[in-house]
Amino acid sequence: MSEAATPILSLRGISKSYGGVQAVSDVDLDVCRGDVLAICGDNGAGKSSLIKVISGAQPPSAGTMTLRGEPVRFGSPHDALQKGVATIYQDLALAPRLSVAENVFMGAELTRRVGFVHWLDKARMREEAKRYLGRLSVSLPDMRQPVERLSGGQRQAVAISRALRWNADIIIMDEPTAALGVRETAQVLDLVRSLKADGRTVILISHNMRDVVALASRVAILSRGRKVVDRPIEGLEPDDLTHMIMSGGERAGL
Amino acid sequence: MKRLIELYGTAIAGLAMVLAFVVLAPNFASPGNLLNVVKDTSFLAILALGFGLALTIAELDLSIAEVASLSAVTTGALIQNKFDPNLAVLAGLGVGLGLGLVNGVSVTVLRVPSLIATLGTAAIARGLAFMETQGVAFVGRWPTSFTGLSRGATLGVPNLVLWLVGATAFAYGLVKWTRTGARMVATGEAEEAARLAGIATARMKRIGLVLSGLCAGLTAVLLAANVSSAAPNMAGDYFLYAIAAVLLGMTMFEPGRPNVPGTVFAAFVLKALGNGLVLMGAAYYVQDIMLGLIIIGSVAFSASVVKQAAFKV
Repeated sequence: MSEAATPILSLRGISKSYGGVQAVSDVDLDVCRGDVLAICGDNGAGKSSLIKVISGAQPPSAGTMTLRGEPVRFGSPHDALQKGVATIYQDLALAPRLSVAENVFMGAELTRRVGFVHWLDKARMREEAKRYLGRLSVSLPDMRQPVERLSGGQRQAVAISRALRWNADIIIMDEPTAALGVRETAQVLDLVRSLKADGRTVILISHNMRDVVALASRVAILSRGRKVVDRPIEGLEPDDLTHMIMSGGERAGL
Repeated sequence: MKRLIELYGTAIAGLAMVLAFVVLAPNFASPGNLLNVVKDTSFLAILALGFGLALTIAELDLSIAEVASLSAVTTGALIQNKFDPNLAVLAGLGVGLGLGLVNGVSVTVLRVPSLIATLGTAAIARGLAFMETQGVAFVGRWPTSFTGLSRGATLGVPNLVLWLVGATAFAYGLVKWTRTGARMVATGEAEEAARLAGIATARMKRIGLVLSGLCAGLTAVLLAANVSSAAPNMAGDYFLYAIAAVLLGMTMFEPGRPNVPGTVFAAFVLKALGNGLVLMGAAYYVQDIMLGLIIIGSVAFSASVVKQAAFKV
């Protein structure tokens, strides 16, 4: 229980401004191991800016981050990935014409070194890719098929498998269901549940309140750059969340 | 069936055309002529493999022919002045490698689109080639230790064929079996994704362009050794042929992607086509028209990486 109580990732006083625009103001946030934290807010509330800081895409203007108890500063998304914080970008991060295995192991290929040449170990990469997908309860018949032939949900699974390959324990998903149909959305929701079951921590940005209620264990709501709500999801309905977002934190009838 | 046509359609058409020449074109099938076609394929294929490696990282190298010409006259100048042939060969390869690096730095550091950067390099190389030679060719009875690189044979196999096999094996092994190759392909296919995955995309681009320059240098050395001379525009005729070989190659085996077997096979088909047309009495300019049609047709058919590379400007 004590492990769950220590936050795996803590933000203190995080601010981000672009020129004169204050996108994020003085946000404190604690994410505990195994949480599925939903970050909600209207357009322009600062969700994307906050996520860019957490994922390493941009440095904060002020504030500090602590990862597994140690102060941390990310130089790039790849730096964050190496430290175990992976961001799943919608389609941006996959090479459509390359195979499932090639995408999962992009930038972190399994090789056998002979002299100064790193020879690809393709058979092992196919096996391991299958195993990662299996952990997400996704089975694809052929690891050699190009990603462009997969469904939207399966592509997300490939992108998440890459995060697992890096052994990331914090996985950030930015609007994972935004462009998907009903069936594919259901697949992605299952992926998040699989991650949770696998002991990973998920930070989820979503506009879809039903997804948030179905998946999240906590919710943080941003309004004009400030954190106005941070609480467990229990007892909240999608409409409550919508109301809190619109009103900047107050909950109807409470 | 549809899949078979997609993968091998143009390759089978090319093979059918070669067979048609065997039947129709006088002397086409004679051993001497076929050997010439194969040797000529070597120069073209090695040059084209370089263009293909640059295209693998989604950059166009339009400087290959001029770089090859400059490499050839550099090697020629040293041979002519009685320098050690080994040194002359290294100098020719060094020019190719050096200008490839110039291209790589222009694209990745100065951020000039490759279409423009390599065009500039081409103009510079052409100028330097004419400066070195003052516009005339180096011709002489060059030592056989040099000319043997192209004219000789090892264990009964013509050296040019061995060079072709070696360059093909190198390019194929690099792209298909090594980590660097996989990262080059990822960079060319989806640069942003590769960067997010931590791949040093700029470095991959430099490697692709340096290898393209190196292939041009090797082609140049072999060309000069074969004719025992070096002229400031000697590789010019191979430019469109090399581009056509890569683009036609992209319609077969791995449709839409520059690929080593496709490039080499297409180089052979193109050289056989040119040779067959000449033997059947077609005028010399028919070849150019044919190349133009093949270039446009191939890109229209499946060469989508090219569209991506060219539209980045």
